[in-house]
Amino acid sequence: MKIPQHKKIEPGLPQSCPRQVGLQIQGLSLALSGVAVLENIGLDLAKTGVTSLIGPSGAGKSTLLRCINGLHQDWQGQINLAGQDVRYWQGGWDQLRRHIGLIAQKPCVFPESIRANVTFGIQGWRQRRRANGLVEAVLQQAALWDEVSDRLMAPAETLSLGQQQRLCIARALAIKPGLLLLDEPTASLDTRSKLLIEQSIKSLAASIPVLCVTHDLDQAQRLGGDVVFMCEGKVIEQADCESFFQRPQRLESREFLSWNVCQC
Amino acid sequence: MTRTQLSKLLIVGLALPALFVPAGCLVYILFKGLPALSWSFIFSATEGTGFGASSGILAQLLGSLLLALAASLVATPFALGTAFYYRLYASPRQQRLLVGLLNMLQSIPPIVFGLFGLVVFVHFLQWGVSLLSGAVILALVILPMLVLNSIASLERIPREYTEAAQSLGLKHSAVIGRVWLGQAWPGILTGQLLAMARALSETAPILFTATVFSGVIWPTSIFSPVTTLQTHIFYLAQEGNNQEVTQIAWGSAVVLLAAVAGFSLLARRLSSWSDKARVITSEE
Repeated sequence: MKIPQHKKIEPGLPQSCPRQVGLQIQGLSLALSGVAVLENIGLDLAKTGVTSLIGPSGAGKSTLLRCINGLHQDWQGQINLAGQDVRYWQGGWDQLRRHIGLIAQKPCVFPESIRANVTFGIQGWRQRRRANGLVEAVLQQAALWDEVSDRLMAPAETLSLGQQQRLCIARALAIKPGLLLLDEPTASLDTRSKLLIEQSIKSLAASIPVLCVTHDLDQAQRLGGDVVFMCEGKVIEQADCESFFQRPQRLESREFLSWNVCQC
Repeated sequence: MTRTQLSKLLIVGLALPALFVPAGCLVYILFKGLPALSWSFIFSATEGTGFGASSGILAQLLGSLLLALAASLVATPFALGTAFYYRLYASPRQQRLLVGLLNMLQSIPPIVFGLFGLVVFVHFLQWGVSLLSGAVILALVILPMLVLNSIASLERIPREYTEAAQSLGLKHSAVIGRVWLGQAWPGILTGQLLAMARALSETAPILFTATVFSGVIWPTSIFSPVTTLQTHIFYLAQEGNNQEVTQIAWGSAVVLLAAVAGFSLLARRLSSWSDKARVITSEE
């Protein structure tokens, strides 16, 4: 696959990003192979807290995360992070991604040690070598420290799937992101791992905004915060968790909550 | 006899010669060559007299290894560059064209490469019959193999690794260095070893460009000619009536076979080791 290159760089914007950033999306549209995948998406994320992104398969939830992270770059519209247009982020997409942690649905650990995985995103081998404190801190935040503290140099592939997913979260946290994007992080995990990851997400959301794609409506309720309901590439409804599940405003939302289907 | 038994007999009848004829060749070469082997035959290097009948083959063996290594060193940067171009920048049409071209290059008869080397490197560039001319022409011979192998190694890297590294904000160069090269190196190295085995077994490309039969033991510079096992066997075989010389040729053939087999076995070990590591990764 091709590594996308950042095309436009506008000098003068600050390279650093505040620890807490807000995300605003306006009129975001994307077509892949001539098919509209996202249409006129508008979204606001608070500076902290969880936002669950729900909707049927093919609604464009994962694609939206990839647009925010710059893995898709041919979109129209505007994505602002901490008030800055991400297209003109100084240093390009690579620099932008250092402020956005993205956790994929399937845990992807590099075939290296647990410690090397945690420090993979840290720039400079000296910094990676000296990151013992950071390694412990992020593994604790990801609720994994107690399980791996005595075998940090063991291969990461020896961990269970649930542990690997938490390792991916720790790896993303090690770059100190201002925004965390999670793409069905607990799909196909056992209940214990699921609850541990949810617990970890909730504690992280106290300091940074977290946007979490999930198919599990119970999970969206457990996570709390806001809910964004998407269907066929459009945002249908955005509300706080309680309002959305108790009093959905749109017919499509009610249909989805009742029958888990959506006819937009 | 039923139709199933008949078809089985036919398949076995066709398969057995394909196995036994090469195996028979190997046994015959060993049978003829092993008696010639001795410590002094392999590890002494004296200038050949009597068509090499009185000399050891250390210079030829080292010459062959030196040429194969030099060819590999010349070809590797270009092979990696082409493989990365294929993976990063080439459009699907360009990719198809590139693979087609590489397959075509692979099918060019080695003697044609030898002729090209003689005209271009030896005469036109005036490098003469030398280690340099031989290494460059052998590099051209093994280049398609190295490129195709490097492409295959890069394509085996899961897409998720690239995306995971990109998501962490790694620069383009870091993704290539730490993820792509970091993951693909066993495959690339395996290809290197196989390409060196191929270079060791090539005679025609170096016949006019790099080697001489007598007058040289060690090359003194990259512009000096070398002696190699392949061409040593070629020259000795022309003296088919001389039993003593023929015996030396068989002995040299066994040593050359052992060198080629050594590289191939090393490549297979490396390949199976990296496959095992990959299986463990995917099973977890």
